[in-house]
This record gives sequence, C-alpha cells and structure tokens, in this order.
Amino acid sequence: MAIVADAGVLYGLLAVGAGLATGLAGIGAGVGEQGIGAAVVGVVAEEPGFLGKGLFLMLLPETLIIFGLAVSLILMFAWTPFSGIVTP
Amino acid sequence: MPVLRLPKFGKPVKYAYITGRVRAMKTKLVPAEMYARMMSMDMSEIARYLEETQYKDEIDALSKDYSGVELIEHATFANMAKTFRKLERVSIDEPSFLILEYLRRWDVWNIKTLLRGKFYGASDTEIVKYFVPAGELSPEYLDELAKKDTIQDIISAFDGTDYASALAQYDGKNLATLENALDKLYYFRMERAVGGTLSVGGGLLLKYVRREIDIRNLITLFRMNKAGVDAAVIQENLIPGGKMHDELARMAGQPFGEFLRGLEGYPFWSSISDIASVDLDAVSRIEARLRAYLIRYAWALSNYHPLSILPVLGYMVSKETEVSNIRKIVRGKEAGLPAELIEEQLVVA
Repeated sequence: MAIVADAGVLYGLLAVGAGLATGLAGIGAGVGEQGIGAAVVGVVAEEPGFLGKGLFLMLLPETLIIFGLAVSLILMFAWTPFSGIVTP
Repeated sequence: MPVLRLPKFGKPVKYAYITGRVRAMKTKLVPAEMYARMMSMDMSEIARYLEETQYKDEIDALSKDYSGVELIEHATFANMAKTFRKLERVSIDEPSFLILEYLRRWDVWNIKTLLRGKFYGASDTEIVKYFVPAGELSPEYLDELAKKDTIQDIISAFDGTDYASALAQYDGKNLATLENALDKLYYFRMERAVGGTLSVGGGLLLKYVRREIDIRNLITLFRMNKAGVDAAVIQENLIPGGKMHDELARMAGQPFGEFLRGLEGYPFWSSISDIASVDLDAVSRIEARLRAYLIRYAWALSNYHPLSILPVLGYMVSKETEVSNIRKIVRGKEAGLPAELIEEQLVVA
C-alpha cells in the first residue's frame, strides 16, 4: 500500500515539475518580449514597413517556451520512473 | 516641484518604446552629405528637397504665406516644435518627465525671443513667427504674451513662476544680463528637478547636460579670451553646474596662447586641435566643431545605455542641429556668403 501512495505523490510532483517547466519558460519569454514588443511598436509607428522584421524579432523569445514544453512532455510521457511500480 | 516616484524594477523597459521610435526617427534626418548638395541648390530647390523629407507638411502648409528663405525658416522651426512635442506626448513616466525638463530650454528661447522682439520694437506678428513652442508654454499663451505692449507687462505676467527671479534682473537698458540669468536658471532648475531624484535616467541626463554646460562655457571662454575681456566679467558669464566649472573658471582672462595650451589633453581637444591656434580668425569654426563633439558624445553615451533617455537626447540634439544647419545654409546663401564660409559654420557630427 505504501508503495502505491508514494507513486501517486511522485507522479503528482512530476506533473507539477512539467507545469513549472512550461509555465516558467512562458514567464521568461514574456519578460523578454515586453521590451522587444514595446520597441517594435515604437519603430513601426514611424516605419510601418518594419512590421515583418519586428514581428520576427518579437517572436524570438518564444523559442524558449518550446524548450520548456519539450521538458514537460519528456517528464510526462517519455520518462517513466515508475515503470516497475504497480499502481492500483 | 514634480517628484519622480518610480519603481526600480523594469525601468529600462519604460524606454523601449521611445528609444525604438527615436531610432526610427533618426533615420529620417537629413544626411550629412546633403548639406554640401544643398549649398549648390537655389532656394526653391532646397524647399522642394525639404518637401520630400519630414518637413513636407510644414512646407505645404506655410507655402501659401511665405516663400524663399522665410518659408524654409518657419517650416523648419514649426517642424522642430512639432517633433519635440510629439516626443513628449508619446512617452510616459520617467522619459516624459525628463524630455519635458530638457525641452524647457525652448521656453527660455521663447521668452528671450519675446523680450528681444519687444526691446527692438518688432510687431507681435513678427515675434510670433520666431517662437518654437516645444516647451511647457503653449503657443496660445505665447501669442497672448506677444500682444502685450511693454517688456514690463511681459515680465509681470511671469510673476510667481520660476522665471520671475531671472526676469527681475531687467534694468531697462540691455538684455544681456537678463538672458544670461535665464540660461543659468534653466540649468539650475534642471539640476534641482532631476538631480533631486534617485532615478538612473535622470543621472544620465545630467551627465550629458553637465558636459553641455562645459562646452557652452568653453565657447564663451574662446570668445571672451580672444577679445581680451576681463577675467571677472568672463566668470560672471560662465554657467555654473558643469563638471569642469572650476578648471574653466581659472582659465578666464588668460592670454589666448596660454589658454589654448591649457586645453590640451581634454577629451574635446582632438576635435579642435587642428584649427585652434593663436592666430585663429573666427571662433565660430571652433564653436561648430565643439557642438559636433557634443552630438558625438550624446550618441556615444547612448551606446553604453541603449535603453535610457540618452538616445532620445541624442535625437533631440541632432534634430536641433539639423534645423540650425539648414537655416545657416539658407540665410548664408541669401546674404551671398561664400560657400566655404557657410560650410565652416555647419555642425556635422
């Protein structure tokens, strides 16, 4: 019984870790984007032709989320430390 | 007195929008190589060229009332005032506060224009033409002041404001003391308004402004030392607050050769070393070089602090210089000055 309860807690912690990986990466990207976004809007107000390049620059920090998301997916699905544990 | 209360966190981000915008605006300034081409154009060609640039709206709007030099002069002034007001309008918090503090120099300019105009008996419509309403005083208020009959009426309109103390120095005979007092007041109140805060941006603005005061004082020294003016008179004309104030004050009244030797080794020396000699014919050449040095200094500082007030400051100084260069070219051409003489006066950073 004790083993089963521990597995549940572990699985829960794993889910929390996965959530943090994506969530914190998202916050980090947001912090990075606030400055870039503001600067891009400033430039586009003067030079509308800069919109395409500006959007590209603005989306660069988004790539960080992909790393976070990859870590989350690995935690949730690919890495299974409980493969030997019997769940109820 | 307004006080800056700003959180420490995320401060540089407040500058992201305005610095992005001024960097885009900087690309629209008249390129330095155009000045040489403008020298070979006539007035209508210059006006047509300016119509293709950021001055289009003003040239179009004013071309029904003015032509030639007057058109270009008023269009460039109107555009500069519009641009500076825009900078202040599109910024928030700290940048907006600092930009307005800097732009108060145009209030001083307008008050000087007003007093000078009245002193020499110009009509109110003449005076209004030379206003640059980029500061805190609105165009309507300035128009109202221009309609007043005497200098005393104008001075009493400023009772209760910061300007009252400087304006009280008017003795009815000449404006030089009063104008000097207004300049000193501008820098004094900037130091008081910005220096009293703990903001990083304010510190950077003051760093530039202190260098500007030094350069202005240096130009005064060049002029007065060259003319052999008495040390005490020169020291009275120096603006306090510069970083090198004490050193420059000591140089007042020195023989010109000794004064030049004393300047060697200062950071600005390399900008003037090739023309600064004892038999210097025109101080205005030195002045142009020193002003160019100041622009380079502002942009160089802004490379160290890309998200700060400095790029905005660099832009404002560059814009101001552009307008004064265009005016020098058109006024010089109208007066029939030789091209080399006009070129020497142009400030190209």
